[in-house]
Amino acid sequence: MSHAQDRIGAWIGWAFFADLAKALALTFGYMFSKPVTMQYPDKEKWLPYSRYRGHHFLKRDEEGEIKCVACELCARICPCDCIEVVPYEDEKGKRHPAKFEIDTARCLFCGLCEDACPADAIALGQEYEFSSFSSRELVIGRDDLLAKPGKAVTGGSVVAARLSVEPKVLVETGGRQGYNWWRNIRRR
Amino acid sequence: MELILATGLIVFKVALLIAMLLLLPLPLTWLERKIAGHMQQRMGPMRVGWHGLLQPMADGIKLLTKEDHIPAEADRLLFKMAPILALAPPFVVFVAIPFGESVSVLGNEISLYVSNMNVALLFVFAVLGIEVYGVIFGGWAANSKYAVLGSLRTCAQMISYEIPMGFAVIGVVMLAQSMSLLEIVRAQADVWNIVYQPIGFFVFFVAGLAEAQRIPFDLAEAEGDLGAGFHTEYSGIRFALFMVSEYAIVLLVSVLAVILFFGGWNGALIPLPPLLWFALKVAFFVYMFIWFRFTFPRYRYDQLMAIGWKVLLPLSMANIIITGLVFL
Repeated sequence: MSHAQDRIGAWIGWAFFADLAKALALTFGYMFSKPVTMQYPDKEKWLPYSRYRGHHFLKRDEEGEIKCVACELCARICPCDCIEVVPYEDEKGKRHPAKFEIDTARCLFCGLCEDACPADAIALGQEYEFSSFSSRELVIGRDDLLAKPGKAVTGGSVVAARLSVEPKVLVETGGRQGYNWWRNIRRR
Repeated sequence: MELILATGLIVFKVALLIAMLLLLPLPLTWLERKIAGHMQQRMGPMRVGWHGLLQPMADGIKLLTKEDHIPAEADRLLFKMAPILALAPPFVVFVAIPFGESVSVLGNEISLYVSNMNVALLFVFAVLGIEVYGVIFGGWAANSKYAVLGSLRTCAQMISYEIPMGFAVIGVVMLAQSMSLLEIVRAQADVWNIVYQPIGFFVFFVAGLAEAQRIPFDLAEAEGDLGAGFHTEYSGIRFALFMVSEYAIVLLVSVLAVILFFGGWNGALIPLPPLLWFALKVAFFVYMFIWFRFTFPRYRYDQLMAIGWKVLLPLSMANIIITGLVFL
């Protein structure tokens, strides 16, 4: 097509609002695309990938005994000094924490405690809904940390959720496939 | 006896009309939010009722129970009058609008219009001109700079767009040889006016967008730069009245576009009841309004004025001249 024809075409397009029509067609197309949003917190919520650094939890070994040996390395490496560990010795002569407190209000979720732990006792899970009206409630003790949900096998998916004010709404992950969040974003 | 029956019928029709106009904003707001949501790849309202269907109810209750605030420095009389002045004209205009020829109920032919004026079109434009008072009073009485700026803009915009809008429909009047909306629709029984008057329709629709103060011409309530424009200081039920009047005007412009250019209740291809055809066409134009809102950006103020005076006015005049020449 020659240059002059190009110009004429552009003029005809201008006269018949080709650019506006293109915009209208685009928005009309988007109207029938799948929404990319989640209905949080009514029906769905995002389960982060397993590498996500959410709320801490303490692990137990096979006998159900707490894995932590109260070496206090996590408390040492913690950049904001929010872990407090007090050790004790049980009847078998093993060292365990009598007190293991994490102030999650101060914690910056760097995950250094997880890296430093020689006994693989502490880790950062996928739970992220633990806001509170009082900073005192955010200081989590040993037994609560043991009761926290561990890492889910799958991650990076949308899971069923329900609006609840109860403290423990457990995440159901079984059998759900990973969900590619970007799948629904249309690109040209 | 006959007089009482006739009066009763008119009262019933007017009541039906008012109920329809007051209730239509409820589904329209829901529709608007839903369409906005899906165009932006979200769901829109979902929490109240099935797919948020009861959301307008919740909004209505919220607006009704909200504090009816009047600013201390406001002109109280004008402030209270303005929403009513803005609401009344679109309602009054619908008196002259026919929704169809007639339907037979229990063997009686009942016409689908309140009155068949022979100057209906003139009446529509004259009454619609009053609409601007509500906006100006609202902006002035609130004693707030945003409101005044918004109402000034609206005033200039409405005056400059009413002229091309009025000129645009003259072609239609020439074709139908009548100003009665009923006659205009009857004249379109074979060929719709859009075939003869594409320029007229274009000018009418653009001016209608400006008249309804919808994007891309919603400078009066430009959220970004003026708060909410002339109704910045309004709250509660008075704000709701402004909203109802806005939707009534959207509906009115759609109805007028259908009657003047798209053959009113005359069907095409598929035989459907005339009233359904009419409703479908109007629904399409209402959808166009919402569709435009979430597609186009807002025009700058000088561009708005330039479009009105330098493009639409000459176009509408050329349309009249061409129509006249063809008639000769």
